[in-house]
Amino acid sequence: MSELYFKRPMPHGGKLVERVITDKKIAKKYVDVCKKSCPVYEIKPTLHYKRGVPVRNVYREIMSVCYGFFSPVEGSMTSAELESVLSKRRLLSGWVFPYPILFDISREDYQRLGVSEGDRLLITLKGKPFAILDIEEIYEIDPEELANRTFGSPETNPEVVREKFDDKHPGWVIYRSHQPIILAGKYTIINEPVFKPPFDRFWCPPRKCREEFEKRGWRTAIAHQTRNVPHVGHEHLMKNAAYTGDVEPCHGILVNAIIGVKRRGDYPDEAILEAHEAVNKYGYIKPERHMVTFTLWDMRYGNPLESLLHGIIRQNMGCTHHMFGRDHAAVGEYYDPFATQILWLKGIPSYGFDKPVNLVEGGLVIRPQNMREFWYCPVCKEMVYSETCGHTKEKQKLSGSLIRGLIAEGVQPPTIIMRPEVFRVVVKWWKKFNYPFVNEKYVMMKEEELEVDVPDLD
Amino acid sequence: MEYTIEVFLDDYRIGKLKGTPVESQIDAVFGGELKVVRVKVGEEIKGEVLKAFESARIDSRACITDTPVAFKRAVFDEIVKQKSLGEEVVKAVLARIDEIKELAAKESEYLPAPEIETE
Ligand SMILES: [Zn+2]
Repeated sequence: MSELYFKRPMPHGGKLVERVITDKKIAKKYVDVCKKSCPVYEIKPTLHYKRGVPVRNVYREIMSVCYGFFSPVEGSMTSAELESVLSKRRLLSGWVFPYPILFDISREDYQRLGVSEGDRLLITLKGKPFAILDIEEIYEIDPEELANRTFGSPETNPEVVREKFDDKHPGWVIYRSHQPIILAGKYTIINEPVFKPPFDRFWCPPRKCREEFEKRGWRTAIAHQTRNVPHVGHEHLMKNAAYTGDVEPCHGILVNAIIGVKRRGDYPDEAILEAHEAVNKYGYIKPERHMVTFTLWDMRYGNPLESLLHGIIRQNMGCTHHMFGRDHAAVGEYYDPFATQILWLKGIPSYGFDKPVNLVEGGLVIRPQNMREFWYCPVCKEMVYSETCGHTKEKQKLSGSLIRGLIAEGVQPPTIIMRPEVFRVVVKWWKKFNYPFVNEKYVMMKEEELEVDVPDLD
Repeated sequence: MEYTIEVFLDDYRIGKLKGTPVESQIDAVFGGELKVVRVKVGEEIKGEVLKAFESARIDSRACITDTPVAFKRAVFDEIVKQKSLGEEVVKAVLARIDEIKELAAKESEYLPAPEIETE
């Protein structure tokens, strides 16, 4: 009987990681001691190993670790943990985790800092104390090898990898651009950054998110991954995927946007968040049933690997279900378009999954809802599910490039394609940035200013 | 052979075509939701457009696609001015191609936002 009703899942690893000192007095004490005795390191953006443009900022990983999005990860990985993640996609504790999480510095910085194992490092952001790193191990990596092993290759992962990863893949570039010296150890945030608008409205770390679910009476909630402004196809995916649940449809839909360095041609982060908000603000999905949040992460575009991270994040946030579509977190033709669904339905042995993600030891509890596509059918006169509507000849696909083409021209897409309120949000930020999509200028500005300010501790 | 340049229309653009002979030639896709007009051009003009823009291509429906926004906007403006969907519309645009190429070169930096009300 009880199996009829789904329970909110436990955090991945059993316990939510929370490594944030919120008491200002205690924080101040830490800083005072650190300022006297610890080496200090100011966070810098990770720059593209060839082109020199920002591709990542480690502050986002420190935030996601310390607020529990990446539970049970507690900091920068040791060499043994890194090896375990690369060879088995498991932490040393046995829990599934797809990606290396590392605090990397240059050889010059390493010499300048003069740190050794057992030291505490004070990490500053925008010149202010931000976090501490208790160094357990210092080791060296070969960034190219790290990048190759993180994603695999057609030879080592023939089930789903179609092309060799290279400098056209933004995730591979992020790992290739890591500095060679790794300081491993736990992070603790000692001075909470403050989110700037509009990010402040959408910041909802796992503990708070679980409390919010409780308050709203959401026993079941389905997560929607996004890095896009929603067109009507996305809206239909959300609405229809949410019909799954336990004895009734999911009580809630959690939109969780990935916020970090974007590719040229993506939409600006600000527009993504407010456009999803417009979906509930204007009633396309009731606000009581729909919630927009984000996670800080410079997307690695690792399709099945990224889906594991997404599952971990949203399980930690308290979701019972996660929707996965075609080309999940994908770019280019590196992966089979349904690689994520293969992982969750069958497993990918070469990545360490001889069974689906939910059935392996140390795996996830969050349930996948694997969806195909939605398109417009002029015969049914509505948005239809590809596996339901039989008028396949007449289908009219809502391609992202058609919509982007209309937008670039300043032509408002029809309401069957994009809601007018969503379009207005796109235009609002377009006016602000003089451009509807992410371009070089936006990336430079964003990575300079970041999503947060760091307060004075005094 | 005949080639097509598709120009998509929103309410603002449709308003500009009201009362012109072009109005009766407005077509629709997506169950009538997305309005479009089609300018037909011959071999010679097609060649000039392809020569002008490296990104431009011909798709399977003989449509000229992937042209810069500045070009597509200029084609629409010219349709309004000439109240026509004939080849002369594109000819007029090609007559000031240097100016359009200059705008197109800036398109990775700047695209003018539509003039609609936002919050
Ligand atoms: Zn149909």
